[in-house]
Amino acid sequence: MNTEAAAACPFPYQGPQDLQERIVSALKQVVDPEVALSVVDLGLIYGVEVDDEAARVTMTMTSAACPVTEVIMDDVEFELERVLPAGCMVEVNIVWEPAWSPEMMSESARRFMG
Amino acid sequence: MTKARQATGLRLAATAAFVLLVAVSLLSAVAGGLLRAGASWSLLHGSVVVAQAAGAHAALMLSGFLGMVIAIERAVAVRLRWAFGAPVAAGLGSLALLAGRFEVAAALGTIAALVSVAVHLVVLQRQRAPHTALLLLASCAWLVGNVLFAVGRGPADALPWWFTLPVLTIAAERLEMTRLTRRHAVAMPVLVAIVALLLAGAALSSSTTIGGVLFGCALLMLALWFGTFDIARRTLFAKGLPRYMAVCLLTGYAWLAVAGLAWMGVALGCPGRDLALHALGLGFIVSMVMGHAPVILPAVVRVKLLFGPWFYAPLLALHASLLLRVVVGIWEPALRAIGAQLNAVALLLFAITVVLSAIAWGRRKAV
Repeated sequence: MNTEAAAACPFPYQGPQDLQERIVSALKQVVDPEVALSVVDLGLIYGVEVDDEAARVTMTMTSAACPVTEVIMDDVEFELERVLPAGCMVEVNIVWEPAWSPEMMSESARRFMG
Repeated sequence: MTKARQATGLRLAATAAFVLLVAVSLLSAVAGGLLRAGASWSLLHGSVVVAQAAGAHAALMLSGFLGMVIAIERAVAVRLRWAFGAPVAAGLGSLALLAGRFEVAAALGTIAALVSVAVHLVVLQRQRAPHTALLLLASCAWLVGNVLFAVGRGPADALPWWFTLPVLTIAAERLEMTRLTRRHAVAMPVLVAIVALLLAGAALSSSTTIGGVLFGCALLMLALWFGTFDIARRTLFAKGLPRYMAVCLLTGYAWLAVAGLAWMGVALGCPGRDLALHALGLGFIVSMVMGHAPVILPAVVRVKLLFGPWFYAPLLALHASLLLRVVVGIWEPALRAIGAQLNAVALLLFAITVVLSAIAWGRRKAV
């Protein structure tokens, strides 16, 4: 299995190369409903590691007080399960370190928000 | 039964219990409010419970309903079981108010706010940021309001503190969203000054005229702060749900400014107490609730909603009925009562919109 980190990926990725693009576009389907920006564009995805058994997503939220966290975690699971091979589990891990900052947003997201 | 099914069953039962407590708090607060506003519905008259609700309208609406909703939001966010103690106590407090057991209600309200303060300390520990500190301050304001109520100072003294809970909670949530834009350097210090003014106003409201003036001034300045720095100015030009939320926010800010001016006026002896209270409570706070419900309900109740332009109907009904109530109603009490009844219709329309949107989402998924 090719586990090299890919250069063009918007977040650190380790896993099969052929899955990378599908994983990125799947995660781009998960959006913050108020600003209509994806968790990828907001810079909330800190990394994805995929092996034969599971895809492990490390991500953060902009606020620890936000009740939408669990819904976003479910959406991440739902979207990834659609593109991963059958039997590959999805684990989503929310972390608060390093703290999210606006610099983590994509160029297009920053342009949109001004 | 498997453990997973047991957990799902428990979760459903808990959700149903919370929905029931929230509904009882809101419906009784609305019924009591209608009686106060002079509505002539025969259903309202002669009921002991509605009479109790009329006497406890502010406590039911602000500490019971909004306090409970905010506490549920935070308990879901921190994902700690004990955090649900706050909304449980707030909800039971509403029932105690309706039973006329004010001392029990005050004790439960105080417990709810104490648990909420503890929850917000956990949030602050997880993320040390200005918006989490502001949320903690909001829960402390709820605690002060409930302690004042518990020591028998009456709803009038507790009122500014109770209002401070949703006002600062909204301010904190909007402050957090401003991080997505290039925030102007003066935004933070100005907000700190506004919050200090608001708290000073709440603290001085019971003893001096200046308290009400400061409180109103802080509300007005907060409206200007939102109008200047909030991302709603930008998301207004998006489509769908982001635009709807922006409309709810911006119209709410306009009412917040009106509330600030009216609050100052009332403190100085002008008429318009109904305008001050309901421009803030309905125009600003309920408009925010309507804006955030399509996002928050799926998180809290686990029911997804199909968003569509029909969400604008209850929003329009709310703002139009409020204009009739608080502007025209200043000169004509009969129109004020009609406006208040139409406010209730707007809330009902919103509840129907939410239920139909949930059904529509289910059907769309099934297709």
